[in-house]
Amino acid sequence: MIGGLALSFGTPLVLLGLLSLPAIWWLLRLTPPRPQTEAFPPLRILQRVIKPEETPSKSPWWLTLLRLLLAALVILALAAPVLNPRQTLLSGDGPLGILVDNGWASGRDWDTRRATAETLIREAGDAGRPVALAFTAEGAGDDATPVEANTALEHLAAARPRPVPPDRDAAVARLSTALSGTTPSLALLTDGLDDGDGAAFDRLSALRPQQALLYRPGVDRVVGLTGADNSTESLAVRAVRPEGVAGPDSYELRALDPQSREIGRAALEFAAGSSTAEAAFPIPVELRNDIARLEVEGGESAAAVRLVDDSFRRRRVGLISGEAADLAQPLLSPLYYITRALQPFADLVRAENRDLATAIPNLIKQKPSVIVMADIGVVPPAAEQALQAFVEQGGFLVRFAGPRLAATTGEDRLVPVRLRSGERQLGGAMSWSTPQAVAPIAATSPFAGIAMPDDITVSRQILAEPSSDLPEKTWASLADGTPLVTAGRLGAGTIVLFHVTAEATWSNLPISGAFVDMLRRIVSLSRAAVGSAVESGATAANVESLPPYRVLDGLGRLTVPGPEVQPLAVAAGRTPPIALANPPGLYGTEDGYAALNLLDAKTVLRPLPALDLGAPVTALGYGRSDILDLSPWLFAAALLLFALDALAMLWLNGGLRQLRRRLRPAATALPALLLALALPLLMAMPARAQAPTPPQDPVDLQRAIEATDTTRLAYVETGDAATDENSRRGLDGLSQFLALKTALEPGEPLGVDIAHDELAYFPLLYWPVDAADPMPSDDAISRVDAYMKEGGTVLFDVHDGDPLSGLGTGSVSPGQRRLRDILADLDIPPLEPVPPDHVLTKAFYIMKDFPGRHTGSDLWVEALPREGQSADRPARAGDGVSSILITSNDFAGAWAVDAGGMFVYPTDSSDPAQREHAYRAGVNIVMYVLTGNYKADQVHVPALLERLGQ
Amino acid sequence: MAPIGSTVELTASSDALVRARQRAALMPDLLIEARRVVTTVIAGWHGRRRRGTGENFWQFRPFVDGEQVARIDWRRSARDDSIYLRDREWEAAQTVWLWADPSPSMLYRSSYAQVSKDSRALVIVLALAELLSRSGERVGYPGVIEPVSARNAAERIAAALLTRRPEVSFPPDDRLKRFSEVVIVSDFLDPVEELVEKVDRIGRRGIRGHLIQIADPAEESFPYSGRTEFRDPETGGKLTAGRAEALADEYRRLYAARREYLGEHCRRLGWSFILHRTDHLASEVLVAAHARLSGAPQLARTRA
Repeated sequence: MIGGLALSFGTPLVLLGLLSLPAIWWLLRLTPPRPQTEAFPPLRILQRVIKPEETPSKSPWWLTLLRLLLAALVILALAAPVLNPRQTLLSGDGPLGILVDNGWASGRDWDTRRATAETLIREAGDAGRPVALAFTAEGAGDDATPVEANTALEHLAAARPRPVPPDRDAAVARLSTALSGTTPSLALLTDGLDDGDGAAFDRLSALRPQQALLYRPGVDRVVGLTGADNSTESLAVRAVRPEGVAGPDSYELRALDPQSREIGRAALEFAAGSSTAEAAFPIPVELRNDIARLEVEGGESAAAVRLVDDSFRRRRVGLISGEAADLAQPLLSPLYYITRALQPFADLVRAENRDLATAIPNLIKQKPSVIVMADIGVVPPAAEQALQAFVEQGGFLVRFAGPRLAATTGEDRLVPVRLRSGERQLGGAMSWSTPQAVAPIAATSPFAGIAMPDDITVSRQILAEPSSDLPEKTWASLADGTPLVTAGRLGAGTIVLFHVTAEATWSNLPISGAFVDMLRRIVSLSRAAVGSAVESGATAANVESLPPYRVLDGLGRLTVPGPEVQPLAVAAGRTPPIALANPPGLYGTEDGYAALNLLDAKTVLRPLPALDLGAPVTALGYGRSDILDLSPWLFAAALLLFALDALAMLWLNGGLRQLRRRLRPAATALPALLLALALPLLMAMPARAQAPTPPQDPVDLQRAIEATDTTRLAYVETGDAATDENSRRGLDGLSQFLALKTALEPGEPLGVDIAHDELAYFPLLYWPVDAADPMPSDDAISRVDAYMKEGGTVLFDVHDGDPLSGLGTGSVSPGQRRLRDILADLDIPPLEPVPPDHVLTKAFYIMKDFPGRHTGSDLWVEALPREGQSADRPARAGDGVSSILITSNDFAGAWAVDAGGMFVYPTDSSDPAQREHAYRAGVNIVMYVLTGNYKADQVHVPALLERLGQ
Repeated sequence: MAPIGSTVELTASSDALVRARQRAALMPDLLIEARRVVTTVIAGWHGRRRRGTGENFWQFRPFVDGEQVARIDWRRSARDDSIYLRDREWEAAQTVWLWADPSPSMLYRSSYAQVSKDSRALVIVLALAELLSRSGERVGYPGVIEPVSARNAAERIAAALLTRRPEVSFPPDDRLKRFSEVVIVSDFLDPVEELVEKVDRIGRRGIRGHLIQIADPAEESFPYSGRTEFRDPETGGKLTAGRAEALADEYRRLYAARREYLGEHCRRLGWSFILHRTDHLASEVLVAAHARLSGAPQLARTRA
């Protein structure tokens, strides 16, 4: 160990290698990177640029430093440095006894606990001391006999946190037995909680240990869920934390469905100084049925999970009525209001048969929680027995009075109280009394909390015989004290009787909101499926045995039960104890199960008190073992530096620049390159689309001014740079020719992007069509269509791969096919080759045909209407200008001149006249486009002048 | 990293001939513009727009006493009382000297180009020979072959170059005569003062020249970076640059300025100066040379 750094070296001799660093430094300084050799003919030009002393003969200092650091790191790494080497904890000799808490509270920090135990065992193993290992949550099978350290390590590796409370008493007993007669060192790896029997550890003092190490973790974040109540308004969850934890704390609770999807969240807030808290899930009743599990987020223990069983489920309610006309007049049916009230909260099952003797047993077979009978007086004996059995097994029977029940004379066993026959009428023409209001609900009644509106009145009811237990059986009463709702237990079940009808004839209770609340309260009091629940239990006589379905593990996860899990013996009114044989979990089958939870409502958690072990107790916390072997980190750092060095070499040799240049089509800068690598789609996009075109202003002022300050010829940018340059040069040549020969002096030609630029500024668009160019988008074509309709003219020049196929021949070249594709989306009038009397032939020069670089293709224009009587006119023109001109003579090629005024391309024939004619064709086209049919009218000028007598 | 540039073998003129033929086949016939055709007696295809010896009809002209009776066009004369002579248009041929620089610097080829500068130069020269001979011009190669007016002039030049290729970078001017044209294809990397002096010497003799500068893309764009040792294939000189990319801008500026100076000088002399990069198609430079040989611009620039 060196000083306060707590650093030690495994092989310190290797550090002598650091002495070689100066030599390495000297070598590195003298060796510059080898230059790249390049043949380069214009060396003499370069000689003027280069300054001789600019060439560094030595490596840059930072590169040398980098490499020295690299060498030093490797040497240091080889010396195997260790930070915070292990400190000796154990003293004395004799066996080491380790007691590990692996109960439910150990799930959160089990790994650190195991690592601590491992460290202790290894240390004992190094000292040659046997180790006795005992786990508090294991059963009697846990063997605490002192063994070799290796065997103890195997035991430790097999241990897991258990979802049960620790049984320290038994574990202490096992350890004491195993270590009796020795003077052991003791290590207690506790979970920091008192298990209620604080004296258990003290019994270890009988062993007279030499030394005791007590590990106790902080219990600040230990939390357990002790209950969940599905009340009518919300789902309330109660939680507990160890006493003595004072500060306010908050947890997130989650409600999960069987597929572990989150249904809701709620915050669990512990007030300062309080060890219990309650959280409410504001989840609708309909969703609450889906909850299978409530848990503290990040709780990682069986206590932080609350499993929920069928008692949470949506209830099934069976409905029976004695009325024959039920279905014919639904509004008068006694079940109408019940159905309306219960529909949102329960599944309703109706009796299918009119015959009660078969309808009731069938209904019970469907396992309802509640059976509602509206005004049924006499129940057939078989059905009555079935109903009685149903109630005795925990079912709820809700009955409503009515004329038939009132008329019953015989003994009815399925009522909570004895009834007087006949009914009582309140108010009416022949009575002094007035309809009675309903009294407020008593606080002891299960209906407590339901507000009774003042305007509920009862005009008729059936009366109960007075008896001593009548008040406690009364759930609701009238203002004069006569019972309105009575209930009585029968077996495990309950029978509830409403002393009024289920429809609004006797009382307006069924059409009030309180009626809905009462029915809901009854349904929520009932059990989900009769005969399968735990807590309200089966009858006291029989103890039911439920097979384990899913159990929680030590981290609060549901798992398939292992072989040690026993079936759960359920007796009425008694919660089975949690043990290794019955860990918390779900018992039963997939169809119906009962949830067994770790903590009950009365659970109190207390921190572990101070211990008296009869020996010096060293209190320790679990800390991660901070022994840090530095050599992997040093090697990694050296590798990083090596990579940096490689990068630096690449940079010094200009490799990065070359790499970038090679990838320039994809990206211009390294970040962009990375982006491009991450998004291969970017590469697939055409090069044109990559040039970031700024969103076009609807009216780009700069461009508008540029385009309109003088008349300009324009060409369509096809996206192929060579074609565009050719078009530009061609129109430039034509512009020069126009300026030379005519009064028109056009400006520099402009290229337009038909997809974005405003087209209306240009009288003529020259569009070279080549099959190799990208097809313009539909949007662009519709813009061109609009341009043509607005009076613009498009000159299509079809580039044919095969110069022999002109537009006149029958074959179709790829360029023509492309033109057809473009024109297919345009609204094109009929076309014809320029007829001899067309104004195009006379617009400036008198021309017969329109050659370009090639000859032989006609110039196609919009067909003019045939005018029989004017066939002798020298020039014809329709109104306006043809919106489309098509040729394949390559006008631009013939017109093209370079910056020096030289023709760029030779014409087909060496006759200079062809070029001249090509220019003339261009002049005629421009004049035609600009002047329209003016020239056609101009030919009549002599005749007009003559008529005017000039 | 593989070096960008390399030096290749001298191109065999027979290979170049095949490629030159392919290029030349794409071009229309080349006719040296008639205006500047020298008044030689050798028949060519340039109509001189004046009467003289030739094949094409020029004009009918009234017979004047003393002229040869044999030249009377009897068919025309029979139509009225006058007697007419038939004049033919004077047609003449032009002499064009071609030259491809064989110096070692021309053997350079970078990885950005398909062919070496020398190969491209030879292709251009032979293609021009093919074109010119097809048009009936007299084509020669200074120091190798005298001007001939033969249909197979390109083949003859190629054959002659196979056996003998001059070593000098500029054509020997002892045989060049007045009113002929010379096309020099080279990289023009010699010191610019020497170049100008040589050009002036030829220009003073009344010879119109066309310089075609062949450049490798690597020479123009200077793509080198990092620590690089540059070696001149011509002189063998070496130069080491610590960070070559730092030199790129300065070099490009100097290179462009030098080229600009040369081009400007040619324009003053009335010569033409054509740039060509070996990563472009040979046809491009042929088209340009064709334009220069066949005439001056006929359009006046109306704008600055």
